[in-house]
Parts: sequence; structure tokens; C-alpha cells
Amino acid sequence: MFFWKQKSRDTTQPKGSDSLSPSLAANLQKLQGEIFANDETIVYRRFKTKKPRALDCALVYADNMVKHEYLSLSVLRPMMQAEVPGSVRGRQLAHYFAEQVIYSDDSQFVASYSDIGDRIMEGVAVILVDGCSLGIVVDAKGWAKRAVTEPPTESVVRGPRQGFSEDLGVNISMVRLKIASPHFKTRFLSVGTQSKTRVAIMYLENVTSMALVEEVQRRIEQIKIDAVLDSGYIQELIQDAPFSPFPTIGQTERPDVVAAKILEGRVAVLVDGSPFALTMPYLLVEAFQANEDYYNHWIIASFHRLVRYISFFITTSTPALYIALISYHPQLIPTNLVVSIAAARKNTPFPGIVEVVGMGLVFEILREGGVRLPRPIGQAISIVGAIVLGDAAVSASLISAPMIIVVGITGVAGFVVPTLNDISVLMRLFFVLLAAVLGLYGFVLGAIAIGLLLSSMESFGVPYLSTMTTLVPQDVKDTLLRVPWWQMVLRPRFIAAKDRQRLTRSDGSKAT
Amino acid sequence: MRRRGLRILIVLLLCLLLSGCWDYIEIEALEFVFGLGVDQVEPEYVVVLEMVKTSGGGQQPQVEAKVLATRGQSVSSAASALSNPAGLRAFWPHAYVFLISEQVAKDGILPAVEHIIRSRHVRSTIWVFVTKECTAEEVFKSKPPVANSVSEHLNAIVLMQESIAGFIPLQIWELNKAFTAEGIAPVLPTVKLVHEQGDLMPIVEGTAVFKGDRMVGWLDGQESDLLCLLKGINQRAYYVIHTKVGEEGFYPITYELVGNQIKIEPVAKGGKISISISLTMQFGIEEVGAAPISFRDEQMVHSVEDQLATAFTRRLRDFLQKTHREYNVDVIGLGQLIKRKQPQVWRSLRENWQDHLKDLQVDLDVQCRVVVSGVAAEPIAVRD
Repeated sequence: MFFWKQKSRDTTQPKGSDSLSPSLAANLQKLQGEIFANDETIVYRRFKTKKPRALDCALVYADNMVKHEYLSLSVLRPMMQAEVPGSVRGRQLAHYFAEQVIYSDDSQFVASYSDIGDRIMEGVAVILVDGCSLGIVVDAKGWAKRAVTEPPTESVVRGPRQGFSEDLGVNISMVRLKIASPHFKTRFLSVGTQSKTRVAIMYLENVTSMALVEEVQRRIEQIKIDAVLDSGYIQELIQDAPFSPFPTIGQTERPDVVAAKILEGRVAVLVDGSPFALTMPYLLVEAFQANEDYYNHWIIASFHRLVRYISFFITTSTPALYIALISYHPQLIPTNLVVSIAAARKNTPFPGIVEVVGMGLVFEILREGGVRLPRPIGQAISIVGAIVLGDAAVSASLISAPMIIVVGITGVAGFVVPTLNDISVLMRLFFVLLAAVLGLYGFVLGAIAIGLLLSSMESFGVPYLSTMTTLVPQDVKDTLLRVPWWQMVLRPRFIAAKDRQRLTRSDGSKAT
Repeated sequence: MRRRGLRILIVLLLCLLLSGCWDYIEIEALEFVFGLGVDQVEPEYVVVLEMVKTSGGGQQPQVEAKVLATRGQSVSSAASALSNPAGLRAFWPHAYVFLISEQVAKDGILPAVEHIIRSRHVRSTIWVFVTKECTAEEVFKSKPPVANSVSEHLNAIVLMQESIAGFIPLQIWELNKAFTAEGIAPVLPTVKLVHEQGDLMPIVEGTAVFKGDRMVGWLDGQESDLLCLLKGINQRAYYVIHTKVGEEGFYPITYELVGNQIKIEPVAKGGKISISISLTMQFGIEEVGAAPISFRDEQMVHSVEDQLATAFTRRLRDFLQKTHREYNVDVIGLGQLIKRKQPQVWRSLRENWQDHLKDLQVDLDVQCRVVVSGVAAEPIAVRD
């Protein structure tokens, strides 16, 4: 593929004893005895070119990582049928084969054993010719890949049905197809001393701040770890506020989301083997934005967005408010309600705080069980949860009925803002404990503490709450509401560094 | 540095936790007081509480009202003695109504209401009533037709006041204000018991008139409606007035008051003060029965309007006669009005305001208009 050409061309200058020997037998012995010793997946296919000059050759590759048919037809067949002129000698042989014999859209040369080792692990095939101290690299990568499907974590009613797969090249091409601009740039890095995972940094040159790109690259380059199996490793290793549960790096499985973030001036990081792309900087407001907001009618999208904010409040605060009201401030509950809550709580054995924490825990256990188990068993879990724990617990006077309602609405509302779902569980517990000790006063103290934490956070130099704490019209256009596209003239102030103009109105006027 | 941060955190956490959960209560351990009544003040307080008993739990929670009465040295001591045997804590903020028995009202209500005004647990928006010809305990033990408790029943009536008429509801903070204000007498709505299919049912009708904190007389439902008119309160009251229709004779016609505006002006003339009241009322025709009245006939409508004005002028005169001369109390707050509009005049009147009230001249100007006749302008013509 297209991204390691440069690197391998530089390595055609061998150094010391690592460089290939002209003798095929010596080369094979070195590979078999040293580099790939005890590795039985490496295939060494010996063959000869056509007489009269029958040169000894070998095709070396890792089994099951190459396209076998392609190698046989486009590499082995022409080489076996080639009549090599007697004048071609030494390193010229490699060039002769690459230029005139092999049918391959991508062929390069290697001159050292360590390079051969690295490249064969990537899934290419290397041809060694007797008498030539250069190996020919043929890109014949081919292994089982998952098809491009709709991501299960971010399904949409309206919008593209594409999701990233585990293949970095495919993933990059999906984003590239959405931003067909020469300003769209991709940089490659390799992370992990053992895994040598390829990491791609993507950005839009004419919008994104170069300082941001350099910073992202610097942070990734500083990572010294043996292996990176998912983008989560990188996310955790380079984020700004490691002790805060709030995410400062976004993640998504959708190319359209990545494209949108890049177009606003963010940097995206793709990791080979992970379908989750990272985007940065990441602001709190992004947790409440869904890609569907931008595809649907703006009034409907704005309504849904308001529902998300309300749901986040409900999921984090309802149990705490319930505890505070019934344990400290029953006078604030409407009379009919307070009497029916009191009646429902009669004869239940546990105090309110125990009910709230206990039922919250039960809900989380059910949820975790549902996520980890295979889908058919997951359904059984939900039945057990709904009937046994909900209905039976109330009938047996173990739990009061209002508590079930509180836990239910809390749990369901939590799924509305999936990005913050895990955090809202922690916030809920935090608020509940404060409310149980100090009532509404404690709840308000907790809310202030969370507010302080959020406003002290930054993501790659951008304040975490920016656009939520301003009244500048163009900055708030995409926060509480999603204003119509013709109003979103500028890119976000804190993200886009260079060209802020996103849209030009039909009369040519440039809004501010 | 890090150690120090940790220490500060621990100290803060301890402050939070060791202070304990002050004020922590379990909601099911509360006994919600819905109503409070005082039946007797001398020699000992007799206090009645209507509480809500919750029971059940699980899937059949039940709520029922219960009434407890006891004696004590004061309202608060008696009330707290009542919640003791129940083993539960009386919870006051949800109390709806406060009943004062007729006897207490006659002897002076200040000892009974003082605790309610002072208490931080009882809301200042609690409704205050005087029980007429019965005690608070009897009222609480009567049987409201729909509501679970008498207090909820009375509260529901009060919230419907605009369309029920016949009384003026009052909250405890307004009573407190009326006590301390100059030139206006406190009035409280009255609760009485009526027989309804063998059961006693509490209704709110009429007004108790106070001089200071002692009750001096009653106003019935119709007089209360007149008081509403004079106080400028809007009420959808119904009036059945025998009206002369053409030359045919008198028919009872039901009018609904749909709007009323009042303007009261004190007029000082030659050292003597008089009051000029101009009242405008708009009526709708609710029911004419068999009266052959056509509302397309302008003359006929004018005649009806004139008759209404005359009838109301007469009723208001009687009302003022009764309150100013007989009870000698300023229920409308004319004194307050004079104080506001002509403070110099008030200074000379305030000492003997009640004497002045007896022969205070009030000029009435009543204008009535019939504005709605329902969906029928003509009488229903019945033919063979």
C-alpha cells in the first residue's frame, strides 16, 4: 500500500553484517537459522528461472498473510518463464525482475535481514535471487478482513451506514472519500516496541492549527509501550486530565463523524486494528451532539438535543434529589405525592439511601451482565431484572415502588447520552452520597464541585466547557440547539485555527 | 505537598461525615398533619388534629385520615402530646386548614392562632376558618363526600372559591396582617355542618366578623358575596332576583356575575367625611324559567338592568347598616382607605373611628349591565 514506500526506499543502503549477502544459500541460512528461527509459519519457496541461465531463487512469506493465487500467477509464473540475459548481474538482477518480469503494482527492494524480518511480518512476500544482495518486496498482503458494516455502538436512523473496520488502510480510505481535498493530510507513526502498530494522524491542513498536529504527534511519539491493541491505549496515554472521569478525547466508529470533526479543525487519530477513531480536542458539548442532528431537520434535531441535556440531568440527579427530598425536605414534595410515597414506603425494611444505592447496584449488575453475555442470554437477564427484581421485590415489601420508578427512569435516561453513560453512574453515586448526608445542600455542593472540575479541565489547550460558557451567537449555535445549516456560517472559534469560514451565503455576505 | 492535599481532603470528609445526618428523617416515620383545630382555650386548651395514617407498603399502600383530640397547656404542647402515643413524628408543613371553634372565636382568637403564626413548621399559607354552631372536632369527624379527609375537602372548596362564592378565604399571614392593620376588621370564613343523606358534611359558607380578635357576628353567604363586591374580589356568584318583565309580572331570574369593578373615594366636605362608592357589575343570564323576556328588546334589557341596580343598592345599604351600625366593624377597610388617601383627615378620625363608623355617610352608585344571555336571545316559545 501507499504509505511505507518512502521508508523502505531509504533502507536500500545496508549497514554492516545486517546487509544481505549475494549468496542465496547464505541468505536463507541466516533467515531460517536466526531471524525466523523456530517460526514454522514462514514459507521458503525455492525455484529456478528458465534455462539456459537457471538462477536459483526463493520466495519468502508468512503463511496465510498473503494472496497465494496472486503470488503464483503474477510472481512465480513470469519469473519461472523469464530468460535472464547473461549481462545482468549482481544488484541489477533485482531491478531487472522488478522492472521487466514481475506483474505487481507495488514492488520495492530490501537490503538487510532486519528489514526482511519486519516486512514479512507485515504480510508482504520477499524474493531473493542468487547472486544478488537486494531482495525484491512484492505487496501481496491478503488476510481475512471484516466487512464494512454499520457500527453497533452508533447506529443511526438517518445517515451513512458505514463503520470503521479493523483495517487501517480501509479506514483511511473511508475518511478520504468524504474529504476529497488535497489539504487533507495523513501522517504515519509506529507505536509499540513489539506490536509496531501503525497509527495515522489525519487533519485538514488549511483549517487545523499546525501546533495542535505537532502536539498530537509529539504525545504519540513519546509513548513507550510494548503493544497497542486498541485506540483506547493511546487515548489513555495522551489525554489531558488522566484523573478526571470525563473524556478529553473523543471516540467514534463512524467515518462521517470523523470527517465532520476534521472539517471543524480537529485532528483524528486512527490505529491499525481498532475500529475506534480518536478525535481531539474534545469538548463536553460534543457528548450531547449526535451525527444524526446534522442530517435531520434542525428543529427536530434541536429538540432531541434538549432531550439529551434533560436526560443527562435526570440520570445523574434523580436518585440524589429523591433521597434529599424524602429524607430531608418532605415539605417540598406536593402533599398527595408525599403521602403516597410515605404509604408505599411503609413496612419496607431499608432506609432510602440503602434502597437507592442497592437498586442502583442491581441495575448496573444487570446492565453489565447484559453487555457481556451473548445476546440470547442477555434477554433472559432483562426478564429476570424486570420481573424478579422489580415486581417481586415490591410485592415482598423489600423495596418501595417509587424506588423502582426512580431507578428505572435513571437507567433509561442514562442511555440517551451514551458517551457519558459510564461517568453518569459515578456522578449519580457521588450526588447520592452527598444528598444522603446533607440533603439538597449536599446535592448543590456536589454540583458546584463537578462544575469546578469541568471548568478547570482542558483538552489539547482548549477549555473543556468552551462554547457552553459564552454568549457569542456564532459560538452557541451548536450547543443547546442545533441551528439551521445556513446559520452555522463559521467553524467553532476554539477549534478551527485558520480558515473559520464554513459556508458562504448565496448573496456572498460573510456573517460574523 | 501531595500529603498535605490528602490531609485537607480527609479533614473535609470528616467534617462532612462526623457532623452526622442532622435533620435526617425517614418519610414513613412521619405523621402528616392535614388539619388543626382549637376547640377551647380556657381553662385548658383542647386541640384537635387531623392526621393521615399511611399503611400497607408493597403494592397496596393505603391512606386514611384519623382525628385525635387532647388537652394541654398550650396549642403546641397539646399537639406534641398527640403525636407521642402514635410513636411517629407529626409533620406540619403539609397542613391545609386551621379551624377555630365558635366559642374560642367569641372569647378572642389570639391565644389560639399565635402558635400557628409563630411556628416555622406550619406554613403561613394555611387556611383559617371559624366553625359555626359546631366544634372543630365535630367538623373533622364529619364525612366529606369525595375527599379522603376533611382538610382536603375544605382545601378543595377554597381553591374553587371563584366559582362557588359565599365566603372569602383567608390564609394565616393575611389574618396576621389584618390584626395589625389600622382601619380594617379581620373577617374569617365559616365552616358549618349540614346533613347529607344521614351523614354530616362540612361546607364553607358565610363569614365571621371580628372586632380586634373577638368575633362579634356572622354574615351569611349572600352577605359574604356583597362583601366580596365591596372588597373588589371577583367571584362568579349567582343571584336569583325577582324581576318584573314588561307588564306581565315578576319572575325569578338567575343572573351570574361575570365581572365587577369598584371605586371607593373618601370625600371630605366641611370637616365631615363621607364615602362615595361606585360599583359596576356585568351579568350573564343563567336561567329565565318561563319569563317571556327577549334580549333583542333594548328597552326590556334596560328595565332589567335598572331593576338589578336598585336591588343591589338596597342590599348593599342593608349590608352597610348591619356591619357599620349593628356590629360596628369596618369590614371593607374604609378606615384604611381614608388613611391612605387623606392621611390628615384620618389622624383626627382614628381615635374614635368606630363611633364615626356608626353614622358614616356612604353614597352608593350601582351600575348593572347584562352582557351575556347564553346561547338563546329569545324565550323558548312552546307551541301546541
